[in-house]
Amino acid sequence: MKLPKKAVAVASALAMVGLLTSCIGGAPEAEQATISEFPDKWDEEITVDVFDELANYMGIQEGWFGDLVKKKFNMKLNIIAPNVAGGGDTLYNTRVSAGNLGDLIVTAKGKKLNELVEGGLVLDSAPFYPAMKNVEKFDTAVTHLNDGKDGVYAFPTSVSSIKPTEPSEGIDPTFGPYLRWDLYKQLGYPELNTLEDLLPVLKDMQDLEPTAPNGARVYAISLFKDWDGNMMVTAKQPTTFYGYDERGFVLAKADGSDYQSILDDDGEYLRTLKFYYEANQLGLVDPESTTQNYDTMWSKVQNGQVLFSWWPWLGQAAYNTDANTQAGKGFQIAPLKDMKVFAYGAEAYGAEPVITIGSKAKDPERIAAFIDWLYSPEGTYANNSQTMGAAGPQGLTWDLDDSGQPALTELGQQAFIGGEAEVPAEWGGGSYIDGGSTLNVSAVLPADVDKETGLPFNYKTWPTYQELVKTPLSEDWKAKMGDAPTTMDYLKDNDQLLVAPGASYTPPTDPSEIETLRNQVKAVIVQYSWKMSFAASEAEFDQLKGQLQEEAEGLGYDKVLEFDMESAKAQNEAREKVAEKLG
Amino acid sequence: MREYPTSNGAAGDDMTSQLVLQEVAATELEESPAAEKASRKQRRQAGGRRSIGMFLCIVPFMVLVFVFSYFPLYGWIYSLFDYRPALGLSGSEFVGLQWFELLVSSPTQVAQIGQVLLNTLAISFLGIATSVLPLIFAIFLNEVRAPWFRNSVQTLTTLPNFISWVLVYMIAFSLFSSSGLVNNVLNDAGLITQPLKFLDTDQNVWLTMTLWGVWKGLGWGAIIYLAAIAGIDQSLYESAKIDGAGRFQLMRYITIPQLMPTYLVLLLLSVANLLNNGMEQYFVFQNAFNKETIQVLDLYVYNIGITGNSLSMATAIGMLKSVISVALLLTVNWIAKRVRGQSIV
Repeated sequence: MKLPKKAVAVASALAMVGLLTSCIGGAPEAEQATISEFPDKWDEEITVDVFDELANYMGIQEGWFGDLVKKKFNMKLNIIAPNVAGGGDTLYNTRVSAGNLGDLIVTAKGKKLNELVEGGLVLDSAPFYPAMKNVEKFDTAVTHLNDGKDGVYAFPTSVSSIKPTEPSEGIDPTFGPYLRWDLYKQLGYPELNTLEDLLPVLKDMQDLEPTAPNGARVYAISLFKDWDGNMMVTAKQPTTFYGYDERGFVLAKADGSDYQSILDDDGEYLRTLKFYYEANQLGLVDPESTTQNYDTMWSKVQNGQVLFSWWPWLGQAAYNTDANTQAGKGFQIAPLKDMKVFAYGAEAYGAEPVITIGSKAKDPERIAAFIDWLYSPEGTYANNSQTMGAAGPQGLTWDLDDSGQPALTELGQQAFIGGEAEVPAEWGGGSYIDGGSTLNVSAVLPADVDKETGLPFNYKTWPTYQELVKTPLSEDWKAKMGDAPTTMDYLKDNDQLLVAPGASYTPPTDPSEIETLRNQVKAVIVQYSWKMSFAASEAEFDQLKGQLQEEAEGLGYDKVLEFDMESAKAQNEAREKVAEKLG
Repeated sequence: MREYPTSNGAAGDDMTSQLVLQEVAATELEESPAAEKASRKQRRQAGGRRSIGMFLCIVPFMVLVFVFSYFPLYGWIYSLFDYRPALGLSGSEFVGLQWFELLVSSPTQVAQIGQVLLNTLAISFLGIATSVLPLIFAIFLNEVRAPWFRNSVQTLTTLPNFISWVLVYMIAFSLFSSSGLVNNVLNDAGLITQPLKFLDTDQNVWLTMTLWGVWKGLGWGAIIYLAAIAGIDQSLYESAKIDGAGRFQLMRYITIPQLMPTYLVLLLLSVANLLNNGMEQYFVFQNAFNKETIQVLDLYVYNIGITGNSLSMATAIGMLKSVISVALLLTVNWIAKRVRGQSIV
């Protein structure tokens, strides 16, 4: 009786092990002949799974962009977005364990890409590379990205022919103290010498407009939590006004002149936490900050319930509608005297995200052709999303006018200035905004110049557009700012911009121990940062600060900091090198 | 060994099991000394047949137990690697006991795990302390005379059990957030000027979590007691009434003693689940302000493994749970041996 019991147990165990392991591991890929040209058309319609770590939309790409891709490649894009799915890296981990991340993959270079190459999850595109004529223009960046890998595994993003010492951002920097200019004007443009001077001004602004048009209470500052990473994300932003950006737990100045630990007593990060604490004491911070996410906060800005924004792409994008700006209302930068805003130089060899083809892709050739198209002028105009300022397809939203200048069409004006437009049926129909590319990745930088027109792909820099969007708001701002044409021009002219040369630096992979320590420490930092911002008294603030420093240290903060410090310095070296070589 | 009717064993067996049976019989035959009497052989053979039949009946359950309780232990191997899903286990680096060393490497780390265990046990014990509430509720509900009222109370209190924690949090959020109903009402009534922080505070987290649990589980927990009450012999009540017992005396001397066995069984089961207080509830309610006091073991493992993406480290911490559970079990067993002179495992 003993024997069969054992036999059955062993047999079923083996069966189970077999069953469970059979899902892991993949089939070898077929040998692919090198091609020098893509076919003109594809007969069979396919749907490709796009695993896109930047996408904020999940599902089949619809609208005019979907229509365009369908017409050109007879292909539908099924976007799989970890951002939408939530849960951190869960989706990524599940899919890579199953051995198939997607047909087309948008991920990050460095650790993730290396892992995918090593694990055999991405395809070597070398056989298709000779046919990729548009990507070829950026061959230096492609070679640099695939350096040390035996093949062409990934394609760089945000490539351009702009110098790495020039800002990559177009007419507005990524960061800056943006205020509701109309209220600031009513106060008589009070002078702002430094960050803390914003507090009384914001207080007065909030008193001027205590309720929004929708009846809700106005708070000068509204925070959100869902982007928190190594630190509380909204607390990092004001440090960028002084030229700092994060590298792990280090705040590194763009010109390499200063490196701070974020827990330094007199550092910029704790300064911001103090700033939020004081703002909260003055009743300026939205009490819902602790629980809301980005979307909720965005709609508050849209409704005029918030008066301060760290970014033009929040304040201006959400609130500066045609109706508001015509009435003189809207967000504009209000320079602090001592600020030196951090700007990202054009990445010489591409930005952090990369585009790759999955090793189990259906029809990899067609996907390669699609990737190549993303680097073409047509692809650049179409793919770069509206918030990045790309103009959309020629003939639909813009065209060359009589003098050969690019100008927005009627529909383009409706879409970009009015906020919404219906696309005609032959372009796929539907709303223009909803039909835009959901890939949310720029293959070519929108600030790069289109050789055809001689102007950037970004319509916001076109003279015809500048003429179109003259509003009482922009005129008032310009008059106050000494007739600067754009924010970027003002900052450059007043030496308030600090450009970090775009060295396309890839930080070294965290060794597993550092990574684990980092994850535990950052959880503590984020947790205490929020508590400190909402502390009840100065004494509590200081006590929490002490606790944070002690607990972080106990969990191995110093070890991680040392690692990040080295990485920050290496990044600066790379920046100096690229500035010397290409700047 | 218990005797089973023969008809159950061999009847209806297919070819394969017949073969297995023959083989087994043969094996057993070999095992028996040659001098065995024929009749004894026959009896053993018959007994063997019956046992095999019964054994085959429990095989599916053994397989299930194996697959869901023992096979997952294989996953402990991940704690010895630096597991990277993209590379698979075979491609990941073997790191030995690195994660375990990391767990005890610094006093802060140990203190953090201590806090997590404290939270887990505190919330579990509060849960056990409140497990008497469904019992009381059932007894009082049973005394309600109007059936329509009793039924509607029962339905209304049972319903929350079927609401997911995510929705419970939505309810909690719309009621108690800083711009929620309660704060708005208090604000409009002029009682407060600053919104009260019900959700984003570390005050009384264990208690509020227990209360939410009670609200959700009260009606559901009472069902089993209501069923037990229905099973109490009515003659007990009748004779007590004849002896002149009042309503509360009936509850005290008949209902409660009769329910005690059920209650004790459930209590034992909940003690066994001491470390298993799940994570959904705490996951939806957690935020930067209450994290320290709300993080129970399961949630801690989730936060490290899934949110923090340290799967190997999370495995190491998860093993902690098994170790503590085994320790608890052995302790209870030891107490049982001392008290009753009989071990339970």
